[in-house]
Amino acid sequence: MRSLVLKIFAPVVLLAVCGSQPVRAQFLHPKVKSKETTISRIVVLPAKVSVVRDSMKGPEGMAAESDELSARVEAMVAEVLSKKKHVTTLPNTAASAEADPQQKYNVADFQTKFDDLLPKIMKKRSDVKKGRFSMGDEVLNLNLEKGTDAIVFIRGEGKKLTGGKTAFRLLVGGTPAYLRLQIGVVDARNGEVLLYTDPILVGDPTTAVDRLRSALEKGFKKLPEVKAL
Amino acid sequence: MFPRKPTNLIVAALCFCIVFTSLSPVALAQKKTAPVEATPPPLNERFKFGEVDLEVLEQADLLDVRFERDGLVLADESANAYLRRVGQALLPRDLVLERVSWKFRALRDPQPNAFALPNGSIYVTTGLITLIDNESQLAAIIAHELTHVMRRHTYMHNRSTRKKFLTMNVMQAVGAASPLSLVGAVITVVTTVAPFIMMATIYGYSRDLEREADHKGIDMMISAEYSPEEMVNVLKVLDKDIEGENIRLFYNDHPALDERIKYLSSYLGARADKVTHQMELNRERAAYFRNMESVMRHNLQLAINAGRVRSAVYLAQRLVDFHDDSENLFWLAESYRMLGPRAPQLTEKELTNSAKKDAAKKREKRTAEEEERELLATPAGKDNWQRHQQLAEELYQRALKAENPAPVVHRGLGMLYEKLGRGSDAAAEYEKYLELSPSAVDRGRIQRRIEVLKEKLK
Repeated sequence: MRSLVLKIFAPVVLLAVCGSQPVRAQFLHPKVKSKETTISRIVVLPAKVSVVRDSMKGPEGMAAESDELSARVEAMVAEVLSKKKHVTTLPNTAASAEADPQQKYNVADFQTKFDDLLPKIMKKRSDVKKGRFSMGDEVLNLNLEKGTDAIVFIRGEGKKLTGGKTAFRLLVGGTPAYLRLQIGVVDARNGEVLLYTDPILVGDPTTAVDRLRSALEKGFKKLPEVKAL
Repeated sequence: MFPRKPTNLIVAALCFCIVFTSLSPVALAQKKTAPVEATPPPLNERFKFGEVDLEVLEQADLLDVRFERDGLVLADESANAYLRRVGQALLPRDLVLERVSWKFRALRDPQPNAFALPNGSIYVTTGLITLIDNESQLAAIIAHELTHVMRRHTYMHNRSTRKKFLTMNVMQAVGAASPLSLVGAVITVVTTVAPFIMMATIYGYSRDLEREADHKGIDMMISAEYSPEEMVNVLKVLDKDIEGENIRLFYNDHPALDERIKYLSSYLGARADKVTHQMELNRERAAYFRNMESVMRHNLQLAINAGRVRSAVYLAQRLVDFHDDSENLFWLAESYRMLGPRAPQLTEKELTNSAKKDAAKKREKRTAEEEERELLATPAGKDNWQRHQQLAEELYQRALKAENPAPVVHRGLGMLYEKLGRGSDAAAEYEKYLELSPSAVDRGRIQRRIEVLKEKLK
C-alpha cells in the first residue's frame, strides 16, 4: 500500500516542486558574452520538431501536428527574439529555395550537419562557453543575405498523452506530456556555435502556446539585448 | 529532465508511420537462364484496412511530403527513372493493390539503407546505390522492400505492436497495484520481467517479417529473371562494415547479416540450378555504373560531409577503376585529403563488437577536428597524414591533366595547400577555381578564404 501511495503521489509532488515550466541552462560563446560578437540579424532555418501521441497501445505518429508545431516554434522564436532582444529576423533562405535543388540540398546538408553536431554539444553543453563547437566555414555556402549575424537551428521532441495514458501515468508513474527544444545559434560568418539553449515545457505540446512563449523567453534570457541605434 | 531512453528509438520507429528500414541485401551475379517455376505474387489477400491502418497510411503519405520538402529526395530524374524501371520489372503484371501507389526514389543519405512505406514508396539511399555492384543487386534490394508492401508488413507489425504495448501497460498497472506480500512479490517479479519478453516478441516478429521479405524477394527476382544469388552477394557487401558501425545489440529488428547469408544460401541451393557467366555479370556491372555514376558522385560528397571518409575512399576508388575521368579522380583525391591521419581500413581488433561500441561512444563525444588532432599526435597518424596528403596531391594533378578537367579540382588543391601551410599556392588555386567557375555556389566561402590567406601573407 505504501508503495502505491508513493507511486501515485511522488510524481505529483515532484512536479509541484519543480513547477510546470522547468527551463534548462543556456550557454553562451565567450565572444557573445564579452559582446565582441553581437547577434542582431538572424535567419531561422526550418524547425524540426516532432511529437508523438502516447497511448496505452503505444506511441502513434503525429506528422501533421509536428509540422504545424515546427512552424509555430519557428515563428515564436523570431517573435521572442524580436520583442525581448530587438533581434531582426531576415527572410529564410530555405523558403526561397523551392525551385533550386542545389540550394535546397545546401540547406538540407547544413541541417544534417547540425544534427551530427548536436549529440556532441549535448554530451558537454558547457563547452559552448569555451567556444569548442563549430560547423565550419561551409556556412557561407548558404549564401544568406549580407549582414546576417547568425543562423538559428531548432530541434524538438515532445509527447502528448491520451486520456487513458494520463490515468495510467498517475497510477504507475512515467513522464508527463512535454516538449523539449534544442536551439543552437551559429555564427553566419564562421560557423561557431554562439549559443545553445534547451527550454522544456511540461504540458500538451500542441496546445500550450503561452507556456511555449514563456519557455522560449527564459531560454534566451542570457542573450545580450541589441542596443537600439 | 526527460532523458532519452532506448525505448524512444522504438517509439520513433513504430510511431512514425512504421517505416520499415530494411538493409536489404542483395546479391548479384548471374541471370537465370533456365526456365523457372512461376511463383505466385506475395500478396496478403486476407488483409482488410481498419481505422488504425488508415492512420498509419496517412502518416506515411506525410512522411513522403516531408522527405521531398526537406531536400532529402535526390532530384535526379534519370536515377529515379532507373529505380522505377527495376521496380516495375519485379512487380507482377496487372497487379493492383488497394491504397498503394508505387514510387521508387533515391534518398540523399550516405548510410547504406533502403526502406518501404506502406503506401508503396520505396526509398534506396545513395549510400546503398553507391555500394552495390549491379542491377541484380539493386533488384534484390527493391524486391525485398516490395514484399514488405505487398504483404502489408507495416500494418501487420503495427497491429501486433499495439496489442503487445497494451499488454505491457496492463501488466505494469497490475504490478503497481500489487499488495505487499509473497503473492505481491511474485506479481512484481512477473510484471517486471514481462516487458522484456514482450519487447523480445516485438523484435522477433519483426525479424520474421524480414525473413519472409528475403525469401519472397528471391522468388520475385527469379520471376523477373534477375540473378537470385545477388541477394546473398548484397548481404556480403553490407557485411563489409567499412566504418565499423554494424553493432550487435541485445534486440535487433533484422536477423544478423551472417544468419541471412546462411538461410538465403540454403534456400537458393534448392532453387538456383544455373547461373550466368561471369562475363555477363561484368557487362551488367558496367551498365549499372554508367546509369548511376552521377548518384555515386553525389553520394561521395554526402559521405565526406558525414565523416564517412573510409567509405568515401573505398567508393571513390571503385568509381575511378570504372572510369578515371577528371571528376572521379577529383573525388578520390578529396576522399584521401579528408581521410587525413586516419588509417584507410579498420583493423580486426577495431572491428570487434566491443571496439565498435567504444568507437561509437567516442564519435558522440569528439568532433572531427578533435579526432584529427588526437591522431596527429601519434606516429602512425602522422605517417598516414603525410601519405594521404601526398596521394591526394598526385590525384588532383592527374585530374587536372585528364580530358576536360573539372574546375573544382583547383578548389581541392587550394584546400590541400592551405592545410599544408602553402598560403600563396592555396590562394592561387582558389583564384583559378573562381575564374573557371564564376557562379559557383560556394563563391562566397572561397572568396573569404582568399581574403584571409592574403591578409596572412601581408
